[in-house]
Amino acid sequence: MSSTHLPVLVVVVPLFFAYLMPLFARWRKKWCLPVTLGAITFSLFSSLYMAQQVMASGPFHYRMGDWPPPWGIEFYIDHLAVFMGITLTGVGLLIIIYGSKDLLHEIKESLMGWYYTLYLLLMASMLGMAFTNDFFNLFVFIEICAIASCAIISIKDKRECIEAAFKYLVLSAVGSGCILLAIAMVYMITGHLNFNFVAEGLQTAMSVYPKNILVALALLMVGLGVKAALFPLHVWLPDAHSSAPSPSSAVLSGLVIKIYAVAMIKLLYRVFPADFVGMIPVMNMLLWMATFAIIVGSMFAIVQEDIKKMLAYSSIAQIGYVFLGVGLMSQNGLIGGILHIINHAMMKSMLFLAAGAFIYATGVRKLSDLKGIGHTMPVAATAFTIGSMAMVGIPATNGFISKWYLALGTLDANKPLFAAVILVSSLLNGVYYLPIIVNAFFAKPEGRVAEPERLPVQMTVPLVVLGFGCLFFGVFPSRLVELVTRAAQVLRGF
Amino acid sequence: MAMIEMLLRLHQNSFYFFAIILFVIGFHTMLTHNNLIKKIIGMNIMDTSIFLFFVAIGYVRGGRAPILEPGVSHTYINPLPSALILTGIVVAVSVTAYALSLIIKLYQHYGTIDAEEIMRIRGGESL
Amino acid sequence: MEDIIVRYISRMLVPFVQLYGLYVILHGHLSPGGGFSGGAVVASSMILYALAFNLAEGTKKLSHDASSVLESGGALIFAGMGLFAILLGTNFLGNRVAGFPLGTPGNLFSSGAIMVITAGVGIKVASTMITLFYTLIEGEGHGHD
Repeated sequence: MSSTHLPVLVVVVPLFFAYLMPLFARWRKKWCLPVTLGAITFSLFSSLYMAQQVMASGPFHYRMGDWPPPWGIEFYIDHLAVFMGITLTGVGLLIIIYGSKDLLHEIKESLMGWYYTLYLLLMASMLGMAFTNDFFNLFVFIEICAIASCAIISIKDKRECIEAAFKYLVLSAVGSGCILLAIAMVYMITGHLNFNFVAEGLQTAMSVYPKNILVALALLMVGLGVKAALFPLHVWLPDAHSSAPSPSSAVLSGLVIKIYAVAMIKLLYRVFPADFVGMIPVMNMLLWMATFAIIVGSMFAIVQEDIKKMLAYSSIAQIGYVFLGVGLMSQNGLIGGILHIINHAMMKSMLFLAAGAFIYATGVRKLSDLKGIGHTMPVAATAFTIGSMAMVGIPATNGFISKWYLALGTLDANKPLFAAVILVSSLLNGVYYLPIIVNAFFAKPEGRVAEPERLPVQMTVPLVVLGFGCLFFGVFPSRLVELVTRAAQVLRGF
Repeated sequence: MAMIEMLLRLHQNSFYFFAIILFVIGFHTMLTHNNLIKKIIGMNIMDTSIFLFFVAIGYVRGGRAPILEPGVSHTYINPLPSALILTGIVVAVSVTAYALSLIIKLYQHYGTIDAEEIMRIRGGESL
Repeated sequence: MEDIIVRYISRMLVPFVQLYGLYVILHGHLSPGGGFSGGAVVASSMILYALAFNLAEGTKKLSHDASSVLESGGALIFAGMGLFAILLGTNFLGNRVAGFPLGTPGNLFSSGAIMVITAGVGIKVASTMITLFYTLIEGEGHGHD
């Protein structure tokens, strides 16, 4: 099996083992975790290998069944796709290592096999969304991702989990309906479903059917915006991400909402014609929605008392940064936005995993009860500290690098108002993160008498690796920034 | 005269027009009714309307079902949208099945399937 | 349902419904239908049986273990055919280029890999529908989610 088949194997291997997992769960329980880890590790190494290939010789295509493009489905592997592949598999691997121990406290033991199935389906669908070059393939992967992400919330059998999953499912179905209607409109105008052919078709049809293209673009923005929790459409996120089990919250906040933003980037920059996107103010609207997301998300996060709800509102603010980068339409802005995807994935996953560690060991979720926890759980509290500093954007952490590029992008595009927005929001981030760190390390523990449980090694290792990654990519970001710069250049057509 | 021209255009595109009407009916049902099962029915109506829209794109006037018979050649309708919607229907069925099982669990936890009742119970106990 | 007429008639009808479902699945490449609709028809025959008699009889005909294996097996056949094409040297899900025998269009045994894939999809859809029905009817008790 030569390496030319790696693009499809990255998606098919987790899918294949997701089908096998119910059989393992029924007859060979011991194999469930190693098989999951093996499948995701295979995808990680394949993504790294393909990243090397793409950096050396440029993007390439993979055609299913050797059918040429208008008839066949193809995968298009470019820099953005391998970047997302590395992000998804790397962070996903660490989260499931953490989850193998933490989930036993939150869901029933007999449901662990099903959790691995759902996790592998989620990984496969997100990887497929990153690689695909065909509209209907994108729709199928979006649907798989929607059901899998609702199911990893509702697998925990508490009242708020089921209700949050139901709300997420209904809103997600509305989003999927809008996306399918947009695909129908695009097919009606151009008669093709492949991204490259649609781009050509839209270029010629732009003068004949401008209103149809406008409606299709609007429906796509709304549909993908509901799923990516952009500002006015974010209402499902706080409940869903705060009541889910901790590994699910980490994967949802860190990875799932980002992949829809990546889909929107691919559609806005590669499919819809560049002068059409310049004519209508869609980028401006994205900018303002992102600004409201950043400010409103941070303000809501300040008043929260529950640690996971605060982190969920913070996710709304951070996805605003990614859309700010997309809407700026400058090279540095796009680099900042795409870089923030992997930075936020690492930071927010680490924060959610650390919060999960606090809940695992002591059972408390309220912020006021976490006083003095730095003395009794040093690893988790240090990880939380590093994550908080990275969120605020202190230099030497990776959060600083992406905010730097975003600020440069706002100045390049002659919109210095948004640089002020970035500064103000960093201050607001500090307002709600720093009190937790101060409370954790410098306050006396009150009321709690029992020693918290020791964290198993499967839970501390991902925290340490993610913390090290945040600091490492803050001090030596050059390889990552090089990949993202090439991705931004390829997207904008240079 | 403009009225007649608009009515003529509506008659030409009647499939798409009724699909959009069904979409709005389904969306309205999902938003306004309190009963959770009616929300799922609204979601189904919305999905069905989008399938109607998509399949109507492939219609060729005077075309027949796209089954090849050896020796004869007819005008066939475009088979691609129908094939795509088959997958879409299966996805809608899966989402409906999952949503209905979630409603069963919600009924076990709360004792009611009225959305306002559930919000009242949630508002009363938390915060 | 304890009615004797319903039981008698449904016991006579179930084989015909299954035969029709198998016809729709196997002729997926020749006439409308294919895996999804054929699988739904086969599942409806088992659901008719479980509704006319009680659920215990239905579970005896198709136990939870067997339907679990059928569900996974159907999807694995699909993925397996794709990977098999990779082993034969072409891209994923290659059909004529991978050397599967194509035959003449219009015959039953033509179009290579499509028939195997359709059969796999049909088995999976049928067993999934039956499992969904059993789970929704049983209420709590079984460890499925």
